Amino acid sequence: MERGQIGILPRPTSLADESYLEFVTTFRKFAIQQGFPTVAATGEAALEKALESGEVARPAEGGEIPLGDIRRVFSKIPFVPTWQRFVRSQQEMMWRRTRESFVKTSDQTMADMAAAEASHPERIHVDPDFVPPDYTRCEIHCQPGGYTDDPLGGLVFHYGTKIFYEGFNDQDELHVELAEKTTLPDDGKIERILDVGCSIGQATTVLKDLHPQAEVTGLDVGLPMIRYAHMRAVQRDKDVHFKQALAEDTGYADGHFDMVLSYILFHEVPVKKMKEIIAEMFRILRPGGKFSIFEFPNNDKGQVSASHRFMIDYDSKNNCEPYSPGFVASDFKGILEAAGFVVEPGPAVSNDFLQSLVATKPA
Amino acid sequence: MNAPGPKVEVPQSLGEEIGGNGRVYFENVVIDNLLDALLELSAAVWTHHDRALVLEKVLAAKGIDVTGAIEEHLPDAAEIAARAAERDAYVQGVFGSFIRRPTGNLPGRQADQKGDI
Repeated sequence: MERGQIGILPRPTSLADESYLEFVTTFRKFAIQQGFPTVAATGEAALEKALESGEVARPAEGGEIPLGDIRRVFSKIPFVPTWQRFVRSQQEMMWRRTRESFVKTSDQTMADMAAAEASHPERIHVDPDFVPPDYTRCEIHCQPGGYTDDPLGGLVFHYGTKIFYEGFNDQDELHVELAEKTTLPDDGKIERILDVGCSIGQATTVLKDLHPQAEVTGLDVGLPMIRYAHMRAVQRDKDVHFKQALAEDTGYADGHFDMVLSYILFHEVPVKKMKEIIAEMFRILRPGGKFSIFEFPNNDKGQVSASHRFMIDYDSKNNCEPYSPGFVASDFKGILEAAGFVVEPGPAVSNDFLQSLVATKPA
Repeated sequence: MNAPGPKVEVPQSLGEEIGGNGRVYFENVVIDNLLDALLELSAAVWTHHDRALVLEKVLAAKGIDVTGAIEEHLPDAAEIAARAAERDAYVQGVFGSFIRRPTGNLPGRQADQKGDI
C-alpha cells in the first residue's frame, strides 16, 4: 500500500522499515548527544594527565598537540572503540535499511521524477555529456553510490539525512534556518540566487519562498540529487531551477548572481577544488554580492578542541569523508580573502558546530 | 531538460562502504561482532515492540483486518511524540551502561579486582 509522507518527508514503505529506522534515529541521538560528550570528557581528561606526566609533550604557545598523540591517548579509553563501533554500525544500518525500503517502490519514484521533468523541463538543466569526475564519486557518509551513482540516491539521501539530523530536520527546519540567515546584498537588489552544492534542494526552495521575485537555482554534481530536488519542487509548486554541474565550473556568466549560499560543501571537496570553487563563486557573484557559508570548523589557528579534532579524524576515516581533514587544516578564511572576498563572521546558527561566514565581493 | 533517455535501472543492492568485510575497532573482533549483534537485536526488538503498539491501537479501534490495518495506521503528532519518548527510554535502558561505565578505572577499585565479578 501507499504509505504517504510525514509532512514533506517520505515515509518508509513498510511499518517494519519505519520502526527499524526510527530505532536507528533514536540510537544515533544517544550515540551523538551522550556518547560523544562522554568520549570528549574522558579523552580530554586523559590527555591532560598525559600532558602532566610528560607522556605527551605540551605544545609551545600557539602550537597544537599532534593528532597522532590525541589519537593514541583517546584510543586507550575503553568506551572510545565502543563509541566508534556504535557510530559506524548505526550509519551502516541507516543506509542499508533506508535503501532496501525505498528500492521496493523505486519504479514509482523513477516515474515520478520523469513526470516532473516532463511537466517542467525548463527548470532542470542537465548536459547529457557531463561525466562527474572521480573525486566527486566516493560514497560520502557511506551512502551507497554516493551523490552520483545511485539513480535512487536523492530519495535515499533525503530519508538517510533525516536520521543523520536525529529527527530535527524532518520538515527541513535546519534548511529553513539557513535560508533565512543567508545574507542579502547591502543594496537589497536580489534578482538571482544560487544554492551551490544544493543536494536535494531543501534550502533552495526556501530561498524562493523568501525571495519570490528572484530566479533561484540549485546546483549540484549529482544527477540523482537534482532529479529528486526538481521532482520535490514541482510537486510542491516551487518555481526553482536545478542544474547538474561542477561548483568549480558552473557555466554562468561573470557577475550573474546577487547572492550565493553554500552549506557544508567545502569539507567534501579536495583543497585544490575548494580554491577553484571559491574563485568561481567570486567570478559569478556581481560586485556587492554576498556569499553565505555554513561549514565545518577549521583549525588553522588551533581553535578546535582536541576531542573535536579526534572526532573529525574518525569521521574522515570511518564515515567516508576523505577531504575533511584537508579542509579542517586549511586557512579557509585566508583562501576566501586571497580570492578577493571581504570576509566577516556570519549569523550564528542553532548547530553551533558549524562556522558561519559571509564573503562579500567588493563593489 | 533534453528528451528522456533510456529507462534508468535501479540496482537492487549497492554500496562498497556498507558491504564488504566491514570495519573493526577492537583487537578482538568478537567484540565488534557482539556490539553489532546487540544493535541489530535491539532494532529488531524495537521493531516488534512498535508493531505491537500499533496492533493494540488498531484492534481497539477496529478489531478487523489486523494485518492490513496495521500498515494503514498513521500516527498523529501526539502518538509520534509518545512513541519517541518510549524509544528514548528503551535506548537508555539498553545502552546506558556504556555511558555509566566508559572506563574500567573506577575510583577506589584495585587493579587486581578487575574482572572478578
